Amino acid sequence: MQQSKTARKVGKYATTYGVWVLASIITLLPIYWMIVISARSRVELFDRPNFIIQSFFEENYINTINDPSLQKYMVNSIVVATSNAVLVTALALLATYALSRWRLPGADNIFFWTITNRMAPPAVFLLPLFLLFTKTFRYGDWILFDTRIGLILLYCVFNLPFSIWVLQGMIDGIPIELDEAAMVDGAGTGMILRRIIIPLAAPGMAITAILSWIFAWNEYLFAATLTSVKARTITTGLAEFVTVTGTNWGEMAAVATLTLIPSLAFISFVQRYIVMGLTFGAVKE
Amino acid sequence: MRQNRTAWFFLSPSLIILFIVGLVPFFYILYVGFFDWNAFSLQKGMHYAGLENYRRLVFDQPFINSLLLTFRFAVYAILVQLVIGYVLANLLATDFPGKWFFRVIHTIPLMVAPLAVGATWRLLTIPGFGPVPFYLDRWFDFEYSISANASQAFWTTVIMDVWHWTPFVTLTMLAGLTALPREPLEQALVDGANRLQVFWYVKVPLLRPIILSTVFIRLMDALRTVDEVWMLTGGGPAAATRYTGLYIWRIVFPKTDYGYGSAMSLLTLYFTILISWLLYTAIGQQRRGER
Amino acid sequence: MKKLITLVVLLAVVSGFGLTANAQDDNWWATAAAPYAGVTLHGVSESTPPSNYAADVLAPQFEALTGIKVELEPTSWDQMYDKAIKDMEAGSGIYDFVYIEQDIVFSYLAQDYLVDLTQALVDHPELAAPDFNFDDFTTFIDDFKNAEGHVFGVPMEAFVKIYLYRTDLFGDPEIQAAFEAEYGYPLAPAATHQQHEDIAKFFTEYGEENDLDLWGTTVQAASGHSSSFYEFFESIAPTFGVYNWGINEENWKATVENGGQMNSDAAKEALAWWVSLLQYAPPESTASTWDEVAATFAAGRAAQGWVYGENTAWIASDPDRSQVVGQVGVAIPPLAEGVMEAAEAGTGYVGYYDGGAFGIPHSSKNIEATLLWLQFIGQPSVQPEWAAAGSRIVHDATFDDPLVVEMDAQTNGYYTLLQEQGYLFKGAPAHPFHAQVRSVVEPFIWQAIVGEITAAEALDQAAAAADEEMARLGYGQ
Repeated sequence: MQQSKTARKVGKYATTYGVWVLASIITLLPIYWMIVISARSRVELFDRPNFIIQSFFEENYINTINDPSLQKYMVNSIVVATSNAVLVTALALLATYALSRWRLPGADNIFFWTITNRMAPPAVFLLPLFLLFTKTFRYGDWILFDTRIGLILLYCVFNLPFSIWVLQGMIDGIPIELDEAAMVDGAGTGMILRRIIIPLAAPGMAITAILSWIFAWNEYLFAATLTSVKARTITTGLAEFVTVTGTNWGEMAAVATLTLIPSLAFISFVQRYIVMGLTFGAVKE
Repeated sequence: MRQNRTAWFFLSPSLIILFIVGLVPFFYILYVGFFDWNAFSLQKGMHYAGLENYRRLVFDQPFINSLLLTFRFAVYAILVQLVIGYVLANLLATDFPGKWFFRVIHTIPLMVAPLAVGATWRLLTIPGFGPVPFYLDRWFDFEYSISANASQAFWTTVIMDVWHWTPFVTLTMLAGLTALPREPLEQALVDGANRLQVFWYVKVPLLRPIILSTVFIRLMDALRTVDEVWMLTGGGPAAATRYTGLYIWRIVFPKTDYGYGSAMSLLTLYFTILISWLLYTAIGQQRRGER
Repeated sequence: MKKLITLVVLLAVVSGFGLTANAQDDNWWATAAAPYAGVTLHGVSESTPPSNYAADVLAPQFEALTGIKVELEPTSWDQMYDKAIKDMEAGSGIYDFVYIEQDIVFSYLAQDYLVDLTQALVDHPELAAPDFNFDDFTTFIDDFKNAEGHVFGVPMEAFVKIYLYRTDLFGDPEIQAAFEAEYGYPLAPAATHQQHEDIAKFFTEYGEENDLDLWGTTVQAASGHSSSFYEFFESIAPTFGVYNWGINEENWKATVENGGQMNSDAAKEALAWWVSLLQYAPPESTASTWDEVAATFAAGRAAQGWVYGENTAWIASDPDRSQVVGQVGVAIPPLAEGVMEAAEAGTGYVGYYDGGAFGIPHSSKNIEATLLWLQFIGQPSVQPEWAAAGSRIVHDATFDDPLVVEMDAQTNGYYTLLQEQGYLFKGAPAHPFHAQVRSVVEPFIWQAIVGEITAAEALDQAAAAADEEMARLGYGQ
């Protein structure tokens, strides 16, 4: 009796582990190949495919780490992604709270309209955005073009809709009775937000922040067009390796590998919030 | 009354930002869509053309092909992601040692920039140098060329998208599974339902809202995919992977056909909104039904 | 002998001038730039070695001399156009100077995007540097002139797309014997298309027999990228006598029935021939853009092929990137009958003379300061080292510099060929539309590459599409 139970347990774990090991290999294979490439010099690049790293060509990493412009791009990326994530989460919290707790005329339509902002094919929007950034928003010599603040605001266009979508479910799921009880106790709107909504919506806020951060960190097309040298992000910097006289795949892969590190560190810390936050408030008990 | 003012006060920052970076460009494009405007035409500037751009679009077979292709791409990619995501989420819903580790590994693709994903997959699959064609040829004698075989290129982009975005689906599914009420499941088991029946008659209906939400978000993103495919195949071979996002990019960037490109974007946006609205209404009904 | 004397005299003059004029020069730059000290100039360019040299070496020198800071934004090829065009179209004034690739300059001129440099220097004599002269440049500068001969861009790089072959393979007696036994004529760089095909076939089979990663030829046939369009229309079609993309510049028509050449028999023969070469090319060819062709050749995977000249120097001499160092020969590409005569007479050309210049958009807010910067990079004294760093030459005198002579030896005479036979090559046709017609034509070329349609069908459809697009743009109505 005892033995068959253990056997069953082992059998159950075996499938689980089998599936996961397989999934992990498939997941890691392209990443691993990226690292293999980053370890090759430009001559070795075109050797026959080989998954074993024969020798490590450190120059790819040394050159890119010491490149002052790449350093600057990295800092820009961190600043832009983090500021955007914080901004978006805060704004989305306020917006969804308003949409959830007040009977506003056309609230449903406002909600859907915000979402449609994420659907637009990005390429064509670059033209009006370019005009906005270079001609409309200028004050003396200062223009919004090639500034971090420009990117931070711009990334709201796809991150705010997503965040509002995720948070709305979360906040709808918080019983309105809690608000009412607090109001009876004399709490104002600010107090309710601080004491009730934020603590209960924390997992949702975490996931919006994380995913917004990732989306902003990875964005290419907007950043490539709307920045120049000062506010350029690292993802855009990746494209610089593709040139007419040869793509420096090794250094490009090295940078791609390096950009993984901050995101990986970030995501490991906040792992547990991710799942709690993603319910879209859709499933309720 | 005072209450409503607070609500608008909370909403306004979001609405103002979206107005500036979303709605203003939208109206600009709406306007430009009525003009014949190519930066390099003999008659400089914009020329009012009425609905001419839209009339041309309806007969633009490559564009319509591209739209259908994109839709096909999105459907296949999302279906596969849902299946794999559901299986993996189920495995994560139970406890086992090392779960944390596998979950972190599984989320890595989400953090790779699409541009880098495209570059990496290009290096994996490039004929001649890449390990995938090399080993397929050596082990299975299978000829694989992403730059010469249209259907192989198409499926490679689907697989790449699956690789990149399944983790997202897994996470949402896991969130859904974790929040599932236990009673209906237990009740069903007591009533003697088998696992398939439980899955189909209990879990799926309960998970329907979250499945729809996931599809909704993935669909929006899949329909505007540009960077990855641009890096992997450039839309080729020929038109095999020239998805709408890429198609529009080619019209407005290298070709500088601003008027026509604007009309094209609006039509694409309209289709996306239409599909999303259907999904959204479905979700909305589900929500109201539960209340 | 006469040539040698001229050369010596020229060298003496150049170096003598350099020595005596140096101190005085420095003063001139400082004085001329005084009103603009502290200004920052912004430019956009592709991140190629010549541009990087301008940004990393020349810009700091210029700043030290004048107090004018120069910031060059490096981007990818696609992005460079998009941003420069958007900036000039919108008149937003972000860039003070832009990279003008030779093939797009006519489009820019037609739209009046650029400042007339000749006129600007006449209008501002106080800004005309004593050391700068448009006449120093090679014939390549002619591509940046309008009908009146006014210059709109200061050339900063120039190359020809050249035929490269592997001297080690072509010079191997055993291979030579085997080749002659099979084809009945001695192995040499291909002079005709038939020879090119024979050689390609021979080396592909040779590679198979000896289990080498070696194929007969490169083909720049990326099936989703503009580079394949360019190789066909700018390097292959001219060698079959089809010039200017087959577009009749008199009436802006491409189809044969309207007086064009794009779907002529010669063009169809050219495309069919070029596509058929894919069977003798490495498998990556259908994914190869310009740089990947160079990489293929540098990896020793092709015996011959067309490679952009900016890559010749590193393929031939940089052991960090190339496996065929010292084994690279250059020659005029294979030609159909009559093409060489037409090229010599100036009515045709044998291949593509590629390159770019820096020009000033009208929207620039610092035109005067930028004028100084462009003259600075166009001075004779900065050319030789720039040539060494970026393997580009824009001045006639630079060819004789010891640095270049040394590189010439490494590349088996690429620079000599550029100097003596450069006139046989020509830049892209002077079309006031460029990307527009390319965009409508290239999908058909891609379809021909992957075999969805035949070469003849592809060009028939392409020519019709080109006619339609030109009419839509207002040309040839």
